[in-house]
Amino acid sequence: MTQLPPDRPAPPAPPTAAARLPAWSLSRDAIALWTVEGVLGSLFWVAVVTALEVFAPLPTWLRVLLPVLVAVDAVVMIGVRPRLRYRVHRWEVTDEAVYTLTGWLSRTWTLVPVSRIQTVDVTRGVVQQLFGLATVAVMTASSQGTVRVLHLEADVATRVADDLARRAERVRDEAT
Amino acid sequence: MSGPWGQPQPHSPQADPAHPPAGRRTSWRVVLVHTATFRQARSFVPALLGLGAVVGTRLDAGPWTVVALVVGVTLASLGFAALSWWRFSYTDGETAMVVTRGLLSRSVRTVPNDRVRGVEVEAPALHRVFGLVRVRVDAAAGAVSNDEEELVVDGLTPAEADRLRTHLLTRRAPDVPAEAFEPEPVEEEFARFDNRWLLYAPLVGSYLAVPLAAVGALFRLTDELPDRWRPELDRPDLADGTVVVLVVVAAALLLVVGAVVGSALVNWRFRLVRRGGSLVAVRGLVTRRHTELEVDRIRGAAVSEGLGMRCVRAARATALVTGLGDATRRGQLLPLGPREEAWALALRLVEDPGPLRAHPPAARRRRVVRAVAGGVVVTAGGVLLLALTGQCWLLAVGVVLAVLGVPLGLGRYAALGHAAGPRSFTVRSGWLVREQVVLQRRAVVGWQVRQSFFQRRQGLATVVAAVGAGSGGYQALDVAAADAAPFAAAASGRWAATLSDPG
Repeated sequence: MTQLPPDRPAPPAPPTAAARLPAWSLSRDAIALWTVEGVLGSLFWVAVVTALEVFAPLPTWLRVLLPVLVAVDAVVMIGVRPRLRYRVHRWEVTDEAVYTLTGWLSRTWTLVPVSRIQTVDVTRGVVQQLFGLATVAVMTASSQGTVRVLHLEADVATRVADDLARRAERVRDEAT
Repeated sequence: MSGPWGQPQPHSPQADPAHPPAGRRTSWRVVLVHTATFRQARSFVPALLGLGAVVGTRLDAGPWTVVALVVGVTLASLGFAALSWWRFSYTDGETAMVVTRGLLSRSVRTVPNDRVRGVEVEAPALHRVFGLVRVRVDAAAGAVSNDEEELVVDGLTPAEADRLRTHLLTRRAPDVPAEAFEPEPVEEEFARFDNRWLLYAPLVGSYLAVPLAAVGALFRLTDELPDRWRPELDRPDLADGTVVVLVVVAAALLLVVGAVVGSALVNWRFRLVRRGGSLVAVRGLVTRRHTELEVDRIRGAAVSEGLGMRCVRAARATALVTGLGDATRRGQLLPLGPREEAWALALRLVEDPGPLRAHPPAARRRRVVRAVAGGVVVTAGGVLLLALTGQCWLLAVGVVLAVLGVPLGLGRYAALGHAAGPRSFTVRSGWLVREQVVLQRRAVVGWQVRQSFFQRRQGLATVVAAVGAGSGGYQALDVAAADAAPFAAAASGRWAATLSDPG
């Protein structure tokens, strides 16, 4: 049997928070995945800026500024953002609902009851497959009632989806 | 605390969507259909066009090049079609239908059989040639809009499609109670349009647009008339003040009359009756429209009042119905009428949740600051302009905007309100069009609590009720952060307590 959803105790919510923190964090591999995404993005910008420096007649200040911007962007996207996102994304499945928290500056808590679930998706992107991760999306009858849990271990994701779909079927409700 | 899926659960292999007994495949002939229609290859067309342009400039476009291009494109299409056929499978298990697909990224979609609303079997012309059909499973009505997300099984034999449909629909059948008795179709009148209400029309934006559109069309027409058919008019002397006044008055009259006539055309003899289990609305002068809503599917009602309508205490009422396309038009309970009438109608469908609670003072501050911010930015620009060039008009505009922002912000704050009653809840917001929505508790399919950086500092939060009807979500803007979770819990089921208590 593989790793269960990480059982790290949720830190107490600050008094101004509108709702409590969901109990679990994502797979730790998510940090590696976001880092890879950051590296890929940075490589893209390096290529673009290199091409500009070589082929385009740029004023000198821009020649200096662009590489600096790219370097700053790389530091943020590779060094800071993956860890920050890992700390910020949290999720939980209770007996009655699926619950997530996303966002750093602007935070969004989403809660969907099992009785209103309409479809459950498990998606595995190309990069995710490298790390054995998957995303679970839980959909309801409303376009604003969609819960997405990014980057779980693939087998955890499958079990979560399986379990939710089965329970959704069992809890007979109108679902809309 | 480990998740409920932590332990392997005993269950029949049939019911396990993760390890389907045997993923069924669609007929291989669908590969031919998709090759012909470029179903999968379509998304690569832009890239191919670019490639084609590059190749085209290098080579002489002789007939062989064209042939090679056509063959190449067809082969590519065949390849993609075959790949996606190979990667597609579906399983209709005991409890859920599972569809697996995706070339590089894999997607597994699970729909509990319970949630299947309908199954549609369609046979486009090309499919018929190959003896195939396409099956659409209608489940998550609200969540999916683009066809990327739709649950479609393409390329089944008609027999298999029938089997699938019967399987999905008979699984669902037991929980639909059989109609034990045919209820007497008693007709009960809910609302009848009073023609005096047509006079409200000039104060409603959408009706005002009608004569404007007509005038626009007229101008286009006169533009296209040949010159000799145009009447010879003396150019009016624009300097003469009376002419200008006359023109303005005439235009205003035209607008008013046009709005009234336009609204009369649409709403003439509007009547809303309840007949058995449905609400029937009939209206229209030239074309009589007849819309029917199932009362069972009504989840709430919205009463909206535009700025102009508020001055004369007019409002319109709309029913929020699940699974209703074109909901704003078809869900209308009262297109136009006195506010009391609109509310009486809305509260016949949804229980009154009680008086609105005002939002905290921080919400007022936030509304005013946001309304003034634009003016302040312009003012700052004005100061800069004054310092650089000595022109002061921008500064004046900025100051006026900023000052006007104060009443605007206060107005927007005054519109805010929320309340939760025993069986329903309500939220209100909006200044230009103030909308109050009353929803049944069972309408909520999820909650979203949002808190921006500034909201967190001010101890506010926005609570959005996700609803499978109307616009999909209704928000209580800027409630006190401490009130967010209790409001959600009070306005829906016990499950919403998850927001505050550890499950």
